[in-house]
Amino acid sequence: MGQLFESVIMAMKAILQNKTRAFLTMLGIIIGILSVSLMGTAISGIDEVFENSIQGMGQDVLYIQKYPWFMMNDEWWEYRNRPDIEEEYAEQILERASTIAFATPSSGRRSDVKYGKNAVERVEINGTTWQEAYISALKLESGRFFSEPESRYGTRVAVIGYDIKTNLFPDEDPLGKEIIIQGNKFRIIGVIAQQGKFLGLMSMDNIVTIPLKSLQNIFGGRWGVSVSVKPKEGVTVEQAKEELMFIMRGLRGLKPREENDFSINQQEAFREQFASIRMAISAVGLGITVLSLIVGGIGIMNIMFVSVRERTKEIGIRKALGAKKNIILFQFLSEAVIISLIGGTIGILITVGLVGLLQKFFVARLSIDLIIISLSVSVITGVLSGIVPANMAARLNPIEAIRYE
Amino acid sequence: MALLELKQVTKVYQVGAVAVHALRGIDLMVEKNEYVSVMGPSGSGKSTLMNVIGCLDTPTSGTYILDGKTVHDDRIEQSSNGKLSDDELAFVRNQKIGFVFQTFNLLPRITALHNVELPLIYAGIHKKDRIEMAKEALRKVNLEDRMHHQPNELSGGQRQRVAIARALVNNPSIILADEPTGNLDSKTSREIMQLMDHLHDEGNTIILVTHETDIAKHAHRVVHFLDGLIASDELTPKGKG
Ligand SMILES: Nc1ncnc2c1ncn2[C@@H]1O[C@H](COP(=O)(O)OP(=O)(O)OP(=O)(O)O)[C@@H](O)[C@H]1O
Ligand SMILES: [Mg+2]
Repeated sequence: MGQLFESVIMAMKAILQNKTRAFLTMLGIIIGILSVSLMGTAISGIDEVFENSIQGMGQDVLYIQKYPWFMMNDEWWEYRNRPDIEEEYAEQILERASTIAFATPSSGRRSDVKYGKNAVERVEINGTTWQEAYISALKLESGRFFSEPESRYGTRVAVIGYDIKTNLFPDEDPLGKEIIIQGNKFRIIGVIAQQGKFLGLMSMDNIVTIPLKSLQNIFGGRWGVSVSVKPKEGVTVEQAKEELMFIMRGLRGLKPREENDFSINQQEAFREQFASIRMAISAVGLGITVLSLIVGGIGIMNIMFVSVRERTKEIGIRKALGAKKNIILFQFLSEAVIISLIGGTIGILITVGLVGLLQKFFVARLSIDLIIISLSVSVITGVLSGIVPANMAARLNPIEAIRYE
Repeated sequence: MALLELKQVTKVYQVGAVAVHALRGIDLMVEKNEYVSVMGPSGSGKSTLMNVIGCLDTPTSGTYILDGKTVHDDRIEQSSNGKLSDDELAFVRNQKIGFVFQTFNLLPRITALHNVELPLIYAGIHKKDRIEMAKEALRKVNLEDRMHHQPNELSGGQRQRVAIARALVNNPSIILADEPTGNLDSKTSREIMQLMDHLHDEGNTIILVTHETDIAKHAHRVVHFLDGLIASDELTPKGKG
């Protein structure tokens, strides 16, 4: 035990004697650990935001829309000729379906939103009905969603997202205040709880929701909508989707052989798309990590060979005085591991700093697991790159080593 | 049985195309508690012999038996269990043999005390006892007041005394000293030789290389080397008496 401790002390002294060299050697490991921990942080950030946003969409909600959510570039031209989705479909679906609990049309326009001197430009104004509150599992921070009569009459009321609140009402309670949309006053009745954002990926934080009828009034006219549908309790999304398909084909008057001229979208598609983004980030991050760890590992191996050569005489003396093979092995192995562990720690510290900065822009958190993984990876790299030089040192013949100049 | 026994030991160094025959077939037996001095001209193979005896170097051919254990034998395979393993050799070097190098071989950048502690570290001795033992060994060579100096802050003679203290610190039963008084003034030489005599009186076996007849006289037996061979092997007046 005492011998191992001594070996670690000697290893540290050896590193301290060559600080610059050790630091340069660490660079590869620093970059490797930096990339592995940043990648991990990014992925867990994206995961968190994705789960938040997708919760806002409601787990089992189906969206009847003109376009599918994900399509090839050239497919757009085919879908463009489809007829618009009519607002009335929502009620007609509710009348005919046995598996559907709620259905609401919604549509969006962009507009500047003002309150007093404050303004937010080009905000997504989402028009929908009271049923939206039951379809999306939206959490309200304060206030309420609009009621059935408010939807029906197109009352000028609004539910705002978290960012809208902080921008327009930095130090006021927005409830009951009136904001200006397209020159019209809207009274705020509710604020949606913060969802977080990641590189502007779908978030309700920057949206103002108003009754669809009010949206049509202030922008003038009607246009195609999207119909959100929520299945009844105990009905699977697939069952609901099948019935919806049947009803929609009826509403569109399609013959059995004709293709659908509408799309039924669901969250699943987002998940798939998201999974592929996530994969891409992981692959790139992993590539950089592995590459820099290999470069860093080779660097350490090289410096360990140099270190063994420089201290050949010392090794010879130690062996002459009774140091066993394994003790010498351990001494040089710990030197390699210490170098790479310091590199890994520096990498993590830089990540901590960067994550602190990045938190201003998106959800980013460095997990304990990730720190443990990063440090283990550094230790393993150190062992792998130190084992060959350390073994070479351990096998030296004492007198030849002592003679070495 | 002899404490150590060499039979037809040779050592050949290959330097480029030239083969240097440092030992040409040495037969030597040393009993427990013998006091042997080795003399001979420079380059005659004295240090090479000490290295082989000290288990620091392996002979090119021949047999070396130490304390009944085979250290080297041409006829026995490397892996055979009749022969000492690497770790067993490390143990022998650490526990049984105290080696004083002709060139001291102290570790630079660490203190004299720490240098003397090294064999104790590899013997697994606890830090507190270790420091006490190391100080005691330095006291024996009159160097207690320099124990916190590094080798480059010591004179040649002082370094030699640190090397001697390091060889003695583990209380080895065999002391191999390659010109232990080569760098010392006559007064210190006398003190070191008194120490050697004392160690011999305590039952230890001593083999020392020297160029000085006065020093060699302390031993009971003198072995003369010439060109890698033993030219003579005889008892001193002390040995006879
Ligand atoms: N590592 C080596 N490589 C090549 N030749 C060597 C090596 N070590 C020793 N020799 C040669 O072996 C011979 C014996 O050397 P050794 O050191 O044993 O002499 P020595 O009797 O101790 O001499 P000195 O009294 O000068 O110390 C010398 O000729 C020397 O040049
Ligand atoms: Mg010599």
